[in-house]
Amino acid sequence: MLTTFFISLLTAASPVCDTLLQAATVTALKESVSVERLPSPVTVLREAELQSSNTYRHNRLSGQVPGLYIPEYGASLTSTIYMRGLGSRMENPVMGLYLDGIPVLDKNAYDFDWEGIRNATVLRGPQGTLYGRNAMGGVLALQSLSPADGMRRSFHLEYGSANTLRAGGIYTLGHHVLSAQYRHGDGFFLNEYKGSNCDPYDGLSLHWKWEQGLSERLFLGNTFWASLSREGGFAYGPWKDGVQHPVSYNDEGSYGRISVVDGVYARLRAERFTADAAASLQFLADDMHMDQDYTADNVFTLQQRQLSGAGTLEVRISRADTEAAWQPKTGFFALYKLNHLVAPVTFKRDGIERLILNNANKNIPADIGYLTIPDEQFPVHSDFLIGTWNAALFHESVLTVGNWQFTAGLRLDYEGARMDFDCLAQLHYRFVPTMKADKPFSVPYRGHQNHGRLELLPKFAALYQANASLTLYTTVAKGYRAGGFNTQIFSDILQNMTMNAMMKDLGVYLDRPNVSVSAEHTEYDPETAWNFELGARLRRTDFRAELSAYYIAVSKQQLTVFPPGLSTGRMMTNAGRSRSIGAEAELDWTPGDFRAHVSWAWCDSRFVRYDDGNHDYAGRFVPYVPRHTLYLSAGYSFHWGTRRIDLDLAARGAGSFYWNEENTLREPFRLRPDARVALVFPKWELYVRAENLTGTPGHSFYFKSVGNEFFADVKPRTILTGISIKL
Amino acid sequence: MLFAALAAMSLIACGKIESETPVVPQESDYQGTVTVIYEGAPFDNENIEVNFTPAEDGKTATITIYQIRFVPRMPVTVDVTIPNVELQSTTEKVLLSCERTIPLAMGGEFPRYTVTNLQGEIVNNELNFSLNFGDSPTSFKGEVKRAAAN
Repeated sequence: MLTTFFISLLTAASPVCDTLLQAATVTALKESVSVERLPSPVTVLREAELQSSNTYRHNRLSGQVPGLYIPEYGASLTSTIYMRGLGSRMENPVMGLYLDGIPVLDKNAYDFDWEGIRNATVLRGPQGTLYGRNAMGGVLALQSLSPADGMRRSFHLEYGSANTLRAGGIYTLGHHVLSAQYRHGDGFFLNEYKGSNCDPYDGLSLHWKWEQGLSERLFLGNTFWASLSREGGFAYGPWKDGVQHPVSYNDEGSYGRISVVDGVYARLRAERFTADAAASLQFLADDMHMDQDYTADNVFTLQQRQLSGAGTLEVRISRADTEAAWQPKTGFFALYKLNHLVAPVTFKRDGIERLILNNANKNIPADIGYLTIPDEQFPVHSDFLIGTWNAALFHESVLTVGNWQFTAGLRLDYEGARMDFDCLAQLHYRFVPTMKADKPFSVPYRGHQNHGRLELLPKFAALYQANASLTLYTTVAKGYRAGGFNTQIFSDILQNMTMNAMMKDLGVYLDRPNVSVSAEHTEYDPETAWNFELGARLRRTDFRAELSAYYIAVSKQQLTVFPPGLSTGRMMTNAGRSRSIGAEAELDWTPGDFRAHVSWAWCDSRFVRYDDGNHDYAGRFVPYVPRHTLYLSAGYSFHWGTRRIDLDLAARGAGSFYWNEENTLREPFRLRPDARVALVFPKWELYVRAENLTGTPGHSFYFKSVGNEFFADVKPRTILTGISIKL
Repeated sequence: MLFAALAAMSLIACGKIESETPVVPQESDYQGTVTVIYEGAPFDNENIEVNFTPAEDGKTATITIYQIRFVPRMPVTVDVTIPNVELQSTTEKVLLSCERTIPLAMGGEFPRYTVTNLQGEIVNNELNFSLNFGDSPTSFKGEVKRAAAN
């Protein structure tokens, strides 16, 4: 980054060479063909559409992209993404995020405020051949504004419900584009115990982009993204006897994050080939505090601090003659990521009583005695160092024969990881009446785990250009989501180890000792999916439509499960097989000043084989996956002179879906309307917008903790007004 | 003839010396069955391990019974250590006895199961003893499992 920064400073004073800028447009996509010729469904939201639909974060894409559902809950590290029946709320995502062609490796950094985005493109279906890991559901590629897009100097300010303030700006200077956005909100959900909102937010996003053609053949760019946030979150209210109760917990719930992604990319146009290279350095530091029982009792808390650094490198060679019938693309990708994760769980007084002592003493006859732990807090320290490396070779060829276009590709992808863990549980205990004094006791648990997997990701596709406006396509492709380690279950492991070790130290042995997984069983495998797709794309002057249908066979589906009983952790498991059948449609009609858009998806995602030892879930719906997503929007622009009024109405919905594997808790489908009215002048714009205008209630998340059930509510009605000024 | 008579006398003399040496108690692990009389009926704990550790002077010993259950439906088993067991070695066996001692269990002294009237013996590879754990008449009969590590 420093090198490119100095190069950019040296060249900043030179006049912008438009021809060089125009000659070298590097897009966020890796495909050899244009978006219109892709043999898979694709959604492109351009700057104006992002603005009119108030899409400035990834979860605002929910529904707008058929089949994509990104519920808003927790905090900005959450980023749970569901796509076509794939997805889980922990660990690796099913949709890859690319910023100006640079892959973002850490899902904790996915959620940030966008500013200066030229377009957001979502490729649906497995994109493993070109994009590799974690692109089995699709890819979200954000393309930021480039100096080649012309002079842009603008500023916007927005204020509304819950003291939400959003201010941002874009500034173009020569070969540089700078953009920034700040957002503040007091939060929407009251924590009744504390008497204050639990989800305030302060966040800042920064972006700097430099692009320059250094010669007719060489183009260089740098894209720098940083985001900082300090926020509350975790607005989870207990669900008891079918009744939702307000959020009320006593311990800290907060999240802070610094995330930086800097990518350098270059394009070299030789006589016979074009070489694209992109390298990135990524850094993330975050700190989460969570009242993990989400009650007003002193049960247990979690702190999770992560410090990670990563580097990526990709080189792609393609044919210089982009008009040739055969377009081969061959590349190499490598990444290394090192993550230091510290995740201490602290059992507080109520937790010690309920989760440890009650459990232990219920097995000890009262006339023999009972166990006590005098400590107010029982900390379980967990320290993980996780290294992840990936290397891949890939090739994709596109051959055009008449009206036909054939694509074949293969990626050889190896991913390995090593986790070193160093955990320690410390407490004092005493058995009454035999022990006269408290005894200090500690249980260390150290070790390491390794895993490595080789994946072959093929792709075959055929596209037929029926006429100037109609394109038909079919694709068969495989994608995968990386495996990993269940760090969140270590508190459970240590808790059980401590109790069993303490009993052994006492010389007392339970007939049914508490069992938990051991470190060897904390690894989960990669999830793989074969996707079979048929689609049709229609493009007319003012009407665009895309219809697709798919069948996805998933192996080793990754699911977040809660271990039974009064467990405190959660873990990712590989749940046998599942399959998704679905259909998606996107319609765009823009006659004159009228505009209408429909995005709809239907997905039937069920387990084919999943027996957790206690239940056979075959035939049940995969939880958290909406059967439908729907986004309807209509707008009209009333012009007079150089001014106009934009009126946009939209409705967004997802559901129904089940919250559990048993399919006993169901969330119905609900539509929530959004609206926007803007008074637009040549240099400035005033607007009022609303989200969830009707205040339609509903849930965005469900989970269990120590046997209790919790829901997160969707955001209530939000009304904001703002001004945009072009300088 | 004289040589044969001397040899026979020396053999008799040697045998006499050998048989007069008392058995030296050794630390050993035994495995066997503990029988507890519960509500008038015997209740067996099978495959119970018992450690026998004599003091350095060989006059007392400590017996630890591992994972014993005093009541059939007790959901836990416990380790119990009986200290201050008196030893008396003869040329054939080691006799164990203890009128009264407080056992150690669950981190300390456990007076509820005070040991009384302990009687037993170690003969060759076998350990047998009987005692009262509080009100519960208890006995153990087992054989050496292996020599305890030093």
